[in-house]
Amino acid sequence: MISSQAKDSIERIFYKAAQARLPMAPGDVCDIVPIKPGSVAGKGAIEARAKDGGATQAGRPQAPTGQVVVLTISGILFRLMLLLHFNEDDSTRDYFVKDDAQSTFGEIVAEISNLCCGAMNQELLRYFPDLGMSTPYMLSAQCVPHLENLKPSYLSSYAIQLGDSVYVAATLCVCAAAPIDFVADVSAVEESSGELELF
Amino acid sequence: MTQSYLVAALMGSVVTAIVAYFLHRFYAAQATTRIRVEAHARTDALAQTQARRTEETGQEEQAKQELESAIVDLRDDLARQIATTDEIRVALKTAVEEKDQWTQQARQIADEASRLKSLAATFERWHEQMISLMTQNQDMHAKNHELSAIVRHVVIVSLNASIEAARAGPAGRGFAVVASEVRELAARSEELSKSYRNSLHRNDLTTTTTFQDIQAGGKMITASLGSVEALANQLQSKLH
Amino acid sequence: MAKILVVDDSSTVRDEVAGFLRKNGLDVDTAVDGKDGLAKMKASPGIKLVVSDVNMPNMDGLTMAEKIRGELANGAVNIIMLTTESSPAMKERGKAAGVKGWIVKPFKGDAVLETFRKLAN
Repeated sequence: MISSQAKDSIERIFYKAAQARLPMAPGDVCDIVPIKPGSVAGKGAIEARAKDGGATQAGRPQAPTGQVVVLTISGILFRLMLLLHFNEDDSTRDYFVKDDAQSTFGEIVAEISNLCCGAMNQELLRYFPDLGMSTPYMLSAQCVPHLENLKPSYLSSYAIQLGDSVYVAATLCVCAAAPIDFVADVSAVEESSGELELF
Repeated sequence: MTQSYLVAALMGSVVTAIVAYFLHRFYAAQATTRIRVEAHARTDALAQTQARRTEETGQEEQAKQELESAIVDLRDDLARQIATTDEIRVALKTAVEEKDQWTQQARQIADEASRLKSLAATFERWHEQMISLMTQNQDMHAKNHELSAIVRHVVIVSLNASIEAARAGPAGRGFAVVASEVRELAARSEELSKSYRNSLHRNDLTTTTTFQDIQAGGKMITASLGSVEALANQLQSKLH
Repeated sequence: MAKILVVDDSSTVRDEVAGFLRKNGLDVDTAVDGKDGLAKMKASPGIKLVVSDVNMPNMDGLTMAEKIRGELANGAVNIIMLTTESSPAMKERGKAAGVKGWIVKPFKGDAVLETFRKLAN
């Protein structure tokens, strides 16, 4: 029910949002590789891509650990769910948590996921004028394989590498109530974030 | 001498008088002719003037008739104009009344949209309930985890029991069978517990995504209603 | 008495924004959602500037702004939204609620510090 150009568009929008909002510093490496849904992101996925030189279905079939941040964007005809998995290891923690922060790891990654999903929301608003976004929620990573039960029209996963050694797994899941077709132009440079617009 | 003078003078005056008389008659005749000519001329002129006047009168009569007919036409026009103006006045009154109705309807739309926006409160209520449901789910997870731990412990106990039974030799055979059955039950319980954990995760995902859909959907509706309200307000101000 | 109130359900954002403003010598209080924000506004009449997220549980930022203007009858306090939302419909609703300005996240403190200082005085 979702046209292939719409699927490509959604993916492009996700890439743009992830590259804009996940890295802590603007110049940081942000490498995104498609993977088989449900697999764990890690060095494996990124290295496999380097070997094959193309998008691979690399991922080790093991039980997912840790938690994912879940967000939903709802439109009239569809809903899009974004699930981001962050390894709660030292390199990830060092990357995201600032020294004097009083928030927990969970709260920090929830906010980053919120920004990423917010960027996707802004971009999608150009094509779907009626959209709303939920607040983030943490679920066990073991919930991710059950996305199939929602009977999605589009389900895809990605392995993301930030900086040297931070790995994030992302899953996009879209359920559509009617045919969806659109073409996204992500070439527009984003200028308006962070600036104060006075009324 | 004086007598001839007097006679001469007298004769002179008589001659003069006679000459004067004839001159007078000549001039009188001339004058009369002149007067007659002038009189003719004047008469002619008068006649001409008279003719002109008659013509003019005829023209004026004509003009007057034209003016009268023009007046009749204008009166008809005016009557038509008045009729048209009355129609326009009625149409304007109707339009003003309709405009008032539209203004009222625009205000109703704006009010309705504004009222519906308070639906947002409903979504907030559902959010609280979602938190409550998820908390219950956490509770079930915890209980299942505990059950799992107990089952694992039972497996260990049954293994120990098998070992003891083996040590007891033939006398322990009955005990060994029981121990083995217990282990089987424990294994099935473990399977059930895993399956249950799976169901809980599936439930968590469905619950979370459903409530997020409601939350996000609610915001979408509120935003759309905001647009409707803004449009209705614009329409209202234009109609004023 | 605090001059600025930062309202966001994410403690990360509260830390970031309030921390930055405090570092620059400003007096800041925080709230965790619209309901909490409203309560804090009632309790502290000295607040001159509210910086609030839109998407929060219990009461969203725009509803809180509407209630600050309505129920609390406070037309003087400056309200700035700091949110991932950027849709024109949302901004219109903000304008109608008497919101003074809109910032799309992420927060860039240096760009807005001076304006915040002015609005908090």
